[in-house]
Amino acid sequence: MNKNLQLTFRKGDLLAILLVVAMTVMTAVFFLPKNTSSQNAVVQIYQDGELVKEISLGEDQTIRLTGTYRNTIEIRDGKVAVTETDCPGADCAHSGWISSVGRSIVCLPNRVEIRIVGDAEVDFVVR
Amino acid sequence: MKRLLTILLAVSVLLSGCTTGSMGVEQKQYTATFLNLFDTVTTVVGRADSEAEFKEKAQKVHDELLIYHQLFDIYHDYDGINNLKTVNDQAGVAPVKVDERIIRLLVDAKAFYESTGGRVNVALGSVLELWHEARSDGRDDPVNAVLPEQEALDKASTHTDIEALVIDETASTVYLSDPEMSLDVGAIAKGWAVQQVAESSPTGLLISVGGNVCATGPKDTSGTPWVIGIQDPDGGNDYLHTIYVSGGSVVTSGDYQRTYVVDGKAYHHIIDPDTLYPSEYWRAVTIVCEDSGVADALSTALFLLPMEEGQKLLDCCGAKALWVDLDGNIHYSPGFNDLIRT
Repeated sequence: MNKNLQLTFRKGDLLAILLVVAMTVMTAVFFLPKNTSSQNAVVQIYQDGELVKEISLGEDQTIRLTGTYRNTIEIRDGKVAVTETDCPGADCAHSGWISSVGRSIVCLPNRVEIRIVGDAEVDFVVR
Repeated sequence: MKRLLTILLAVSVLLSGCTTGSMGVEQKQYTATFLNLFDTVTTVVGRADSEAEFKEKAQKVHDELLIYHQLFDIYHDYDGINNLKTVNDQAGVAPVKVDERIIRLLVDAKAFYESTGGRVNVALGSVLELWHEARSDGRDDPVNAVLPEQEALDKASTHTDIEALVIDETASTVYLSDPEMSLDVGAIAKGWAVQQVAESSPTGLLISVGGNVCATGPKDTSGTPWVIGIQDPDGGNDYLHTIYVSGGSVVTSGDYQRTYVVDGKAYHHIIDPDTLYPSEYWRAVTIVCEDSGVADALSTALFLLPMEEGQKLLDCCGAKALWVDLDGNIHYSPGFNDLIRT
């Protein structure tokens, strides 16, 4: 209706534009995929349902588990793997190196689960 | 000033959509794993005020699944339980009185046989047993791993007629009229059991038995969906996609599951009833569907079918799928894209 209103650029407009820009940036930052293989991630090792060891993923080391079978677990360069086992099928060793929060390696015959925990982007992985 | 107000309102709505917990309390997310069920990994994920509260919920899920595990087991006997092993042992001898849950599973199994044109056949036990033995031996002693003998496979395949599975719902009995036949419900039992347990579980849990994932509702009271990663068949830490799931089921059948190697070639466990060999249509098929039992059956059926025929099955069930072909290309059914997060 009022032509003048369309033409004048007011302080409020600038404020509104700035707010939109700020919101966009904030939203983008909020939803941006987080680095899931962060150094804060922790490796939890369970055997027979009990937590037997908890180590930072950033701490290189070798853990040897016994039980019905044996698993050699290595943490190196922010990754973890079962590098040696005598369990039938050796699925755990074939799982390779994992580094993302939420991933796990399982040795069913030896009732072992190696899990990386931390701030996860993904709740569960179907495989 | 009016415009400014509108924008501020939009912001507050957006922010309120991001808060978690019902009364402003930030709930922690917990995971429990069980390795004693269905010869696979069972995982329960959920939010709770305390670890103790979550553990109680997860234990209930486990305890219920354990009953199904025992009922559907074809390898072990359990005191005081007639399970599918009992039914197999009594093939050609006598009907076996069984729990109503076995009856319901097998009635559904017959329906799956019909709807999938025989791709999903629980009467294929005698064939699958030969593969199971060869795989089991081959894994224990990889150097001497062998394939099942063709003659044995051919002979076994003459004892896979679903009509020989006789269910008497009134008497609650099951009878295999062919003494050489045996049941193997591996293609449907895990998903079917997950569905039953999910229906009696509290909302806000993610239950997975060997990759048969079922969400009993969004992960918190403000309706935040779960984020599910779909594994790349080539392994590694990458996902093919991550998808949003607020309820219903997701399951993948892949050629990397339960494998063994003979002469440098890997053989997986999903057997084509026509060739009696592991199928070679796809690397992996992921199904998203309301019912976990249907999802499990569909993932097997679609893994054993060309895409067009698979799509027809999806249309009947209102399900969606993602296929990975032998060259690693990804194909999507209509509607799958709506679920994709990344």
